Amino acid sequence: MSTTLLSVRGLSITLGSDARATSLLQDVSFDVSTGQILSIVGESGSGKSMTAKAIMGLLPPKANSSGIAMFRGQNLLAKNTTPPRGTGIGLIFQEPMTALTPVLTIGSQLTEAIVVHGLADINAAHRRAIEMLDRVGIPNPVQRMRQYPHELSGGMRQRVMIAMMMLLEPDILIADEPTTALDVTVQAQILDLLRDIVFDTQIGLILITHDMGVVAEMASDVIVLKAGQVVEAGSVQQIFDAPNAEYTRALLDAVPSIEAAHLQPLSTKGTVILSARNLHKTFRGQRGVGPAGPKTKALDDVSLDIWHGETLALVGESGSGKSTLGRVLLRLTEADQGTVELGNMDLLALTGAQLRLTRRKIQMIFQDPYASLDPRQSVGAAILEPIIIQGSATKSDRHEVVSELLTRVGLTPEMANRFPHEFSGGQRQRIAIARAIASGPELIIADEPTSALDVSIQAQILDLLADLKQEKKLTMLFISHDLAVVRQVADRVAVMRQGRIIELGPVDAVWSAPRHPYTKALIDAAPVPDPHRKRGLRTPLTGSFSTGKLTEVAPGHWVAS
Amino acid sequence: MDTKVDTSVHASPLGFWKRLLLSPNGIVGLVIVLGLIFCAIFAEHLAPHNPAKMGTGGRFLPPNSDFFLGTDEFGRDMLSRILYGSRITLLIGAVAVGISLTIGMLIGMLAAFRRGWIEAILMRSTDILFSFTETLIALSFVAVLGPSLQNAVIAVGVAGIPFYARTCYSAALVETSKPYFEASISIGSSPGRLLFFHLLPNVLPTMIVVATLGVSTAILAAAGLSFLGLGAQPPTSEWGYMLAGSRDYINRAPWLMTIPGLAIAVTVLGFNLLGDGLRTSLDPVERK
Amino acid sequence: MWHFLSTRLAMGFLTIWVTTIMVTLLIHAVPGDPVQIMYAQSQGTTPEQIEQVRRSLGLDRPIHIQYLMYMERLFQGDLGVTIRGGQPVLEVIFQRLPNTLMLAVTAMFIAILIGVPIGFLAAYREGTVIDIALMVLAIAGISMPHFWLGLMLLFFFALELGWLPVSGNSIMNLILPALTLGLSNAAIFARLTRSSMIDVMSQDFIQTAYAKGLPKALVLRRHVMRAGLLPVVTMMGLQFAFMMGGAIVVENIFSWNGVGRMAVEAIFQRDYPIIQGFILTFSVVVVVVAIAIDALYAVLDPRIRRA
Repeated sequence: MSTTLLSVRGLSITLGSDARATSLLQDVSFDVSTGQILSIVGESGSGKSMTAKAIMGLLPPKANSSGIAMFRGQNLLAKNTTPPRGTGIGLIFQEPMTALTPVLTIGSQLTEAIVVHGLADINAAHRRAIEMLDRVGIPNPVQRMRQYPHELSGGMRQRVMIAMMMLLEPDILIADEPTTALDVTVQAQILDLLRDIVFDTQIGLILITHDMGVVAEMASDVIVLKAGQVVEAGSVQQIFDAPNAEYTRALLDAVPSIEAAHLQPLSTKGTVILSARNLHKTFRGQRGVGPAGPKTKALDDVSLDIWHGETLALVGESGSGKSTLGRVLLRLTEADQGTVELGNMDLLALTGAQLRLTRRKIQMIFQDPYASLDPRQSVGAAILEPIIIQGSATKSDRHEVVSELLTRVGLTPEMANRFPHEFSGGQRQRIAIARAIASGPELIIADEPTSALDVSIQAQILDLLADLKQEKKLTMLFISHDLAVVRQVADRVAVMRQGRIIELGPVDAVWSAPRHPYTKALIDAAPVPDPHRKRGLRTPLTGSFSTGKLTEVAPGHWVAS
Repeated sequence: MDTKVDTSVHASPLGFWKRLLLSPNGIVGLVIVLGLIFCAIFAEHLAPHNPAKMGTGGRFLPPNSDFFLGTDEFGRDMLSRILYGSRITLLIGAVAVGISLTIGMLIGMLAAFRRGWIEAILMRSTDILFSFTETLIALSFVAVLGPSLQNAVIAVGVAGIPFYARTCYSAALVETSKPYFEASISIGSSPGRLLFFHLLPNVLPTMIVVATLGVSTAILAAAGLSFLGLGAQPPTSEWGYMLAGSRDYINRAPWLMTIPGLAIAVTVLGFNLLGDGLRTSLDPVERK
Repeated sequence: MWHFLSTRLAMGFLTIWVTTIMVTLLIHAVPGDPVQIMYAQSQGTTPEQIEQVRRSLGLDRPIHIQYLMYMERLFQGDLGVTIRGGQPVLEVIFQRLPNTLMLAVTAMFIAILIGVPIGFLAAYREGTVIDIALMVLAIAGISMPHFWLGLMLLFFFALELGWLPVSGNSIMNLILPALTLGLSNAAIFARLTRSSMIDVMSQDFIQTAYAKGLPKALVLRRHVMRAGLLPVVTMMGLQFAFMMGGAIVVENIFSWNGVGRMAVEAIFQRDYPIIQGFILTFSVVVVVVAIAIDALYAVLDPRIRRA
């Protein structure tokens, strides 16, 4: 028998007052019941985080809220109601790395709220904290109590956050993008944990996210927000099977699926345009003078061929070395050992002017659209820069070249004189792409080019890249952690873990029939945007993996032995 | 639905002036500094008397209608001395900061750019010099070269180098770690282009703020040296030196002490406020 | 943590070592003949005596020999003798050093006890009239030349009101100079504390604390203060160095018998042995205090304590 815990009607939030007020949220209504997982979905700027803050009474001072949010017989949005923080409703944030106070022990942060709310005395609180740490799956809970946040990994810190909130025995838990900053396998574990807790304690969970896969996995009911308004609401099956609103349909269309078969698989092996052999790179913990800190082996004897005209994806979690590999190929980071053959030259051996001239053959698109353009350089100048350096266009041609490039990436020539800050994230990424193709490179390395973008924008950028690749016969090395995007975009994929490639092959073969246990775990962990395929609890990754030499188990499909 | 456009940061130059004028610190500071520059340039026209001429009026005259700020122990007009002093003060600030800024920026940018052992040597040396404190460095300079205003200014200039080097280094380090800098490297930019087109323009705003605030520090330091007798020598109308001279007559003619000190304080305040205003207008990422 | 401290210690030794080198070179940077200049003011020194001094200082030998001679004497505790009275420099400095340290430490206490709470208050009431008023006060405090403040305090409290003595060496005499130094630096601490606290208050973990339902007072006391005071501790080392520098001037105003006053007199008299000794002592004091404060910081910040 489920009861309604929270009932929100007509929640609206405005920022500022009088004429210049901006509306952040308009007339949002929903209910949360015991044991229910409600997901609030939206892209950036949709106002989903604001909803949580309004309920908790954590809005910034200039924001005004109106409407009704009935919880335990009181309207939370009324002026004099005490906010339900902690013992009524708990809140978990997105960034576990900065969410805990660095100067206090885990134990003290766990127990202080219990004691303050009068739920138990310090000794009992201490015991409960240890039990809860165990419950959320943290090994050695007694030891952890005395540790500081910086001694824990991101996933563990998020578990601590969950523990911290659950210790206050709330009726509802709000999780605001709780797994966005985590690796895919860790994300799976955290989501499993949340689902487990809801089942055990029958609390209501409001899961705020932008990831439709997470929604399909976790939620029973969904609200879709766009620009502060509820565009659609319903059960998760209904939203996915028969979406009413056009926005919802567009959103679902834009989501890449890990299972969609690749349209034009690259069947024959073409010429090899780049050949990397035995790359090693070790990073030391400390920088500068002094004894070296803990060493990390970012690249451990990595060898790779890239074929002409293909899109090869590098996939891995944090610390896998995929970004380092990209950077080494670009000579942004120097490898300790190894060779990279491009054409007839060893890329790693070049220096000085020759290196600079050769650079035009490999270009990069960076992850952060905000920081990858010089804020003081006009967009036109940025795009023109590679051309000026290589001297591949005369002064009179330049204007035309820039206009053409801008148009090609879906922008307009007038934008050439504007500055990066005047553009949105998606537009900046287009500019970055224009810059990357300006010098006519042979290989483009895209390092998580869409990870910082909304799903609908991501789809546009990926389409643009696909078009350009076709048209200019580009070869692409696509680095990503998103398995579904990789499925959509790549011909072949290389899975990396801790500096080694553990599986390599055509993306269809690897994704549908992975041979290496780590690859299997990765695919298992990735959320699928189909509510009819809810998984049970996954077996956690334990033990060590084979990371030996690659052996060919099927034509073109290699696995670490 | 794309991510929001960020209209605040690094907006066009016009927007910068607008923001500067909107900050109260900035306006007051700007007014003071402009006023000072005005006095310095037009000292000849503004000063009613010759600042060096003794016996212009009676000795130790308190402020009156003939001599707005009174006269000193030699009968010289205080108002004229203060006005001419503004010229010296501004020159001191400009030259000292000029020295510190140019050399400091060279060191800082080079260290952040070149990395490796050059960086280590430059920054360790800077750290060592920095721990000597500016006062000590300035004192040592004057001890070696002998007291004079010139030496004091050079001393202050040299003493400030470690600070500017360090600040520039931090700022440059931040910029060189950003993707746009790496993007420029990967396009094949030469070191020269990287330094002058990309690094310098992005480091300059921070350094301008630091330099403006630094003018106040330099003026205070030089005035301090002059106060001790190690800087400006007679009959210069430098404010610190005037303060030193007022010590013996505190009881008899307190205005000799209050007025030059006030002049220094207001000047320093002006540059501090201006620097503060510049800082907020160049870095408008406000707290939530 | 030990790595952090050992690096600092190493840098400290390096700094002092470089100081000794620079101090030796100091004499050579003087334009003209340093020994002549040194004895220009004292009558009755014969050319033979000057030669003797030159030889004893090793000025007729190559530089590296001089340096070794200097270091040898240094390790024996011999910093040379003063030109004026022939007293051992070490003695002269040690007589006066405690006074300067007393002044600097007292001023530091005053600066922290006044500045930090003001900064905290301003941050707590950010944006309100109190905040603005306090910060205006602070910026005025920073802009005021400390020698001017000293003169004014001397004028008002000693001469006009006669509450405190003008010069001398008792505790009463410490009040005005310490206040002068302390108040100027209090303003710096106030601004520093304020910006540090404001910075901390906008961090994610403060949101978490509030989300747990902790009352504002507790959040401020436990979370904001502890995290926010760390950067202030870091700056204390730097501020102490400034204070030592400021002490030089303040000692002159109040005729406080410390090494600062001694140094200025020595500069006028071209008494290079004292100047050298002073520079060395100053450096050592600043370095030692800086390392001590770094050690304190290492203990306070768990990220370094348990690296």
